[in-house]
Amino acid sequence: MSARKAALAGAGTALLVGVGFVWSTPFLWMVVAALRPEGYGPTALASLAPDFVPTLANFELAWQSADFLVDYANTLIVVSGILGVQLVTITLAGYAFARLEFRFKEALFYLFLLQLMLVPPILIIPNLTTTVRLGIYDNLLGVMAPYMASAFGTFLMRQAFRALPRDFEDAAVIDGCSFLALLHHVLLPLVRPTLVAFAIVSVVAHWNELLWPLMVINSPKRQTLVLGLASFTQASEGAAEWGLIAAGTLLVTLPLILAFIAFQRHFVNSFMSSGLK
Amino acid sequence: MSRFLTDRTRSLILASVLASGLAGAAAEAATSIDFYFPTPVQGPLARELTRIVKEFNDKNPDIEVVAVYTGSYDDTRVKAQAAVAAGKPPGVALMSANVVLEFVLNKQIEPIDDYLVENKLDPKTFLDDFWPAVRPNATIDGKIYAIPYQNSTPLLYLNADHFRAAGLDPDKPPATWTDLVSDAEKLTRREGDQVTRWGLTMPSTYDYCGWLIQSFTMANGGLFYNPSYGGEVYYDQPSTLGALQLWKDLAFKYKVMPQGVIDPNQVSADFFSGKASMVVLSTGSLTFIRNGAKFPYKVAFMPRNLRNAVPIGGGSLIAFAGLSPEQRKAAWRFMSYMTSPEALGHWSRFTGYFSPRKSSYDLPEMKAFIAEHPDALTALQQLEYAGPWLAVYDTVAVRKAMEDQVQAVLAGKEEPADAVKAAQKAADEIMKPLTAKITASVSP
Repeated sequence: MSARKAALAGAGTALLVGVGFVWSTPFLWMVVAALRPEGYGPTALASLAPDFVPTLANFELAWQSADFLVDYANTLIVVSGILGVQLVTITLAGYAFARLEFRFKEALFYLFLLQLMLVPPILIIPNLTTTVRLGIYDNLLGVMAPYMASAFGTFLMRQAFRALPRDFEDAAVIDGCSFLALLHHVLLPLVRPTLVAFAIVSVVAHWNELLWPLMVINSPKRQTLVLGLASFTQASEGAAEWGLIAAGTLLVTLPLILAFIAFQRHFVNSFMSSGLK
Repeated sequence: MSRFLTDRTRSLILASVLASGLAGAAAEAATSIDFYFPTPVQGPLARELTRIVKEFNDKNPDIEVVAVYTGSYDDTRVKAQAAVAAGKPPGVALMSANVVLEFVLNKQIEPIDDYLVENKLDPKTFLDDFWPAVRPNATIDGKIYAIPYQNSTPLLYLNADHFRAAGLDPDKPPATWTDLVSDAEKLTRREGDQVTRWGLTMPSTYDYCGWLIQSFTMANGGLFYNPSYGGEVYYDQPSTLGALQLWKDLAFKYKVMPQGVIDPNQVSADFFSGKASMVVLSTGSLTFIRNGAKFPYKVAFMPRNLRNAVPIGGGSLIAFAGLSPEQRKAAWRFMSYMTSPEALGHWSRFTGYFSPRKSSYDLPEMKAFIAEHPDALTALQQLEYAGPWLAVYDTVAVRKAMEDQVQAVLAGKEEPADAVKAAQKAADEIMKPLTAKITASVSP
């Protein structure tokens, strides 16, 4: 019986390893392609096996093709700036929609959700006009401004607060707890997994965004990473230099990958511990 | 307020606000203009263009041109239009040659004629130095609105080894559609039902798709669109239908080309790896093919049915409306610097595009280059048969109306006869704002 169990567990592990391998193929291919010397022949292009002497030439070329240090700094400012404001706005808005009673609450909430249906390109011109009027055109603040409130985040936080039993709050209020203290000591620790999950989605989305920064930013010294990457990898005519593209993409994603590895346990715990029930 | 907004987070926000605020307040001494540019071919082009702009700035200390990389041709168009709407037009932009008309219809750019006259230059003499094929897309209602900068045409690339092995002469590439089909059949290798080598392949993704269907339509005697009025396309004409039928037959009847929508990167990879013997790609790919092909290759004209004809592609410089007198002066100095025969010759050698200016080819460095790379000459000779590129009201949408149908045919989901009708209907619908105006003006 236990032998059978072990075999089953083994098969399960093998299956997961298989799925993991399939999932990570694009990433493995990117690493192999980035290290492949130029002119190695496109026949080897599809190969996953490193059948060559690895070279860092692609990385060197990619590094020279854009101002990576400046781009890293700008991207970091943009994603942390957006996230910082978002965490405040979505927590407060989510709480309001979950707990407070006010007129037109439902209608307002659906209006909020309606935002999710809008395709971003139709907002380019109105948003850009607002950006110019606010005096934050060609400015990192202009990149961040449209994202400082998030319909998705508000929805997520509303659901998280609604899932909490009211008793916690009632108990705290009876004990004379103020709203901010209630938020700090009772509510936030309980919705922390939701906040972390939202943070991951937000950071990844804005790290990878091309269209809006492309519209707002003119000065090369205010470029974000993806803009820098696109400047030497996009092409409509001509053809792809895969090694350079792979190396550039790796440089762009590296900080995110490192951050994920460093905080992996933390993230997984956040997703696992729903806190209640 | 909570552990999620720690002091560190707060100071980061503060720092970012300060940093971006300070950067925005940088003082401007010289006359400053923005220059928007896309990079249609890969590699260090953005860096080279930035270097050229820096060189210009160093030579002209009273002018500061800010080189702004703006993504693809299409992103550049969106960004320029959004910037104009928001009241921040750039000075100069490198724009896809076939959307210049839209900017004119929207009154967003200024005629180059005005600049030429102000600088005591004759517009006609100026235009005479450009190849006839690139003039129509740059000239609207008799006025020059754009200066061609980088141009291309479709070109047939072939693997000379494969030709010889199949008993064909690589110096006699297929000249007609009949030759194209019969050569492709001889070059295609099959093992049972499996094709191990394709006789021909060509890209059919957006942009390339519309360009190539126009190319085949022109070679079939057709016009594709009305070059003197932006409200007419000839998608449902026999010449277009015949072109689409050929494209379909290559894949479905003769089975010498893969079925489905094909990416340009796939095309060049198949050519390099010997999985395809002939490919259709832009002349702009010539440098890339030259550097990447590990076998003898040849380049040839696009095969004809009724006539040799190809559309041009590429980008031109345009100058935006609403510049101050100082900015206009700066814009003109910059544009004339960028489009001098020497500068265009340099850019042509660097990218693989041909120089739109005839006098570039009289320069000694250009003569030496062509002597070294005679295949660059074929692209140039084909220019004699080149015509303007689809440019109508809302060009991109009208082009996509056709491309969606071509792609449906290539996927085996639709018949060419129905496809061209559907494309025509969709295109007419898109162009209505312009065509309605015309109809209204003739009604009593």
